[in-house]
Amino acid sequence: MTALAERPAAHLPSGITGAVGVLLAWELAARALDGTYLLAGPVSVAAYLMENAGLVSRALAVTFESAALGFVIGNLVAIALALMALLVPRAERLVAAVALFVSCLPFVATGPILRVIGGPGTAPQITLAALAVYYVTFLTLMVGLRASPSAWLDLVRSYGRNRWTEIVQVRARASLPYLIAGLQITAPAAFLGAMVGEFTGAERGMGVLAIRAMRGLDVTATWALATVASATAILVYAGIGWIGRRLNAAPPPIILSAPPPETRSSALGSVGSWLLLGAVATCAILLLWAGLMELFGLNEFFAKRPWHVFDFLVTASDAADHRAALFSALLETMYSAAPGYLLGLLLGAGLAVIVVSLPALASTVLPTAIALRSIPIITTAPLIVLALGRGSVGTITIVAIMIFFPTLVACVEGMRQAPAPVIDLFRTYSASRWTSLRLARIPAMLPAFFASARIAVPAAILAATVAEWLATGTGIGSLMAISASTSAYAMLWSSIVVVAALSAASYGLVSLVERRVLTVYASEQLSR
Amino acid sequence: MQPRSDVRCIGLAKVFQSRAGAVPALAPLDIVFAAGRTTAIVGPSGCGKSTLLRLVAGLEAPSSGEILIGAETPADVQRRGGLAMAFQDAALLPWRTVRGNVALSRHLARLAPDPHFVDELIALVGLDGFEDRRPAELSGGMRQRVAIARCLAAKPDLLLLDEPFGALDELTRMRLDQELPALWQQGGATAILVTHSVNEAIFVADRIIVLSDRPARVHADIVVDLPRPRDLSVLRSPEFRDLSMQVTDALGMGGPYERHPLVAE
Repeated sequence: MTALAERPAAHLPSGITGAVGVLLAWELAARALDGTYLLAGPVSVAAYLMENAGLVSRALAVTFESAALGFVIGNLVAIALALMALLVPRAERLVAAVALFVSCLPFVATGPILRVIGGPGTAPQITLAALAVYYVTFLTLMVGLRASPSAWLDLVRSYGRNRWTEIVQVRARASLPYLIAGLQITAPAAFLGAMVGEFTGAERGMGVLAIRAMRGLDVTATWALATVASATAILVYAGIGWIGRRLNAAPPPIILSAPPPETRSSALGSVGSWLLLGAVATCAILLLWAGLMELFGLNEFFAKRPWHVFDFLVTASDAADHRAALFSALLETMYSAAPGYLLGLLLGAGLAVIVVSLPALASTVLPTAIALRSIPIITTAPLIVLALGRGSVGTITIVAIMIFFPTLVACVEGMRQAPAPVIDLFRTYSASRWTSLRLARIPAMLPAFFASARIAVPAAILAATVAEWLATGTGIGSLMAISASTSAYAMLWSSIVVVAALSAASYGLVSLVERRVLTVYASEQLSR
Repeated sequence: MQPRSDVRCIGLAKVFQSRAGAVPALAPLDIVFAAGRTTAIVGPSGCGKSTLLRLVAGLEAPSSGEILIGAETPADVQRRGGLAMAFQDAALLPWRTVRGNVALSRHLARLAPDPHFVDELIALVGLDGFEDRRPAELSGGMRQRVAIARCLAAKPDLLLLDEPFGALDELTRMRLDQELPALWQQGGATAILVTHSVNEAIFVADRIIVLSDRPARVHADIVVDLPRPRDLSVLRSPEFRDLSMQVTDALGMGGPYERHPLVAE
């Protein structure tokens, strides 16, 4: 506990070293690339910000307000969902599956639809910000609510008290560190959601300025806005961490471990029960979808119902053409999302191994990586497109960067989970650093690695579709954007369904692999 | 195999640096652990017993003084795979089977794999039939049996046992104390056992060193000349009770009474 509490203080100077190093490298690179319209250094960024202080600060205030509102709403929804899952354990997997699907809805399509429904105000960006945060908080909170030592729960039960007392007296306090960690991770995501919402045609805000700068090929402005967005996210991230430490809620050891199932797997077996869950969840989602549309009486022109999508993709006379257009675009997206996903995971895990084996490096790289993890990567997409062009390399890079930092941080944490006696055991044989990495630390890292691989699936698809929309003009991201601007709402809704289904199914697939890995590499996490 | 050698601690001291200042864990100590014998170390909680063991294992560097095992340093012995340590936590790798965990020490000690010997050891610690199980499927006592088998798989000259049965229930502990020490004692390994249990120390060891409160000094050095093999009936012998009294007295005298004589008056 003390070691954890002392960590930030010990890391602060090296964090500053890292920041200074990044600034220096940035300026040098900008000078080297002078005249290529790729990179604006910190000096010209600062000059731009001084000149446009009023404009940028007004935009920041607008975006910050939307992000903050969405952040609060999304996290309240997450807390409500977690409580529901806890109070009605039977419904837990269904709640989780529906929540997952909703969080997989592609912003590129939901953004414009919300814009049509909500008009030019801030409602769409607030909604997207909420959608961007609630699932991760829900997940971390579920892990946290389960983290209470069973003896504490037995204590409450031994007085004949009910589940609600259990939640108030024990689980709420025990899960506080997890909630704080969830809030910390999702704060940048809220900012990202708000900015993407503004991309879809808001009147004011950082997103509006960013789009304008990118369209006008204003390199300095693009860099300045990305810098402000990143700095804001880092500050909020650090601020929540500070509040957490003030509340004496030190970061929990592993925050992304899969929620262990409370119920025994059914007689159908693991795959069978997953299929059953998928079927029930699909029904629930369809009901929810149609029900909401009808409840609010939304216009069928832009608020398509499930049967419209079914007609568009299956029963219409030109359904085959629709399917062909949709799936070829989807395939194109997968060609950049999948390599970017794998690249980000491998680079993250690889650098984590290097960082752990060279402790001198860890004190500089890790604080920098933790800070960079909080950057809303999408908002830097214009920069990467500036640098790498409009081909698939740019998209792959954006996806990889989006996944790289969280994976790095999680894997380093995971490798540090290797118990001290095990490391001592290796040392008593003078085992080389490589041997203990290979036989102890890397296997101990696998649970954290697969947890980030799972969380990274929707992130990868989000990053790929946004990059396609803003920059490359290919793939399903572009198809959704064009459909939105040409009011081809049937195509738009069909894309949403297909992308979210693919995203959720991939997530499910990775979590199946994760379960397999956990049964071998961290069986105690499953049996807890 | 190398001839067994005494473990000699010469002017051995350890001071830990903390924010509050220097914390001396071991006062300069001179102890010789006889080759081929089992020596138990007992002492009050936090007195530096484990530190002493970790120094001998080469896991900590002494602040002053040295440790020689024959003519070698702990680091030399580590490098030739000549020592093995067991911890209070069995420290098994959860993703390896029982067989894989036992074989691990041979791999780490750079020895050729010897599946036959590994299976033999698993049988000797009473786990035949469990070779392919993973640690999560074993009880605490079974895990410590695996840990001891892992220690022995590389045929070490020097065995360092840091309360390996400390977290187990009394019954399991007595059973392990009865079955396992013979495995290394017959092989002639030198063993140092840190324990909180006076009974365990007497039952297992040839000699008991009682350490004082921190910084640790040798407070008593008691020879256990009970005949071997020992079984549970020895617990009822007058010799055992006599030894038990000696150790308990030494522990009591090493406690607060000595430092606060007024309380004792």
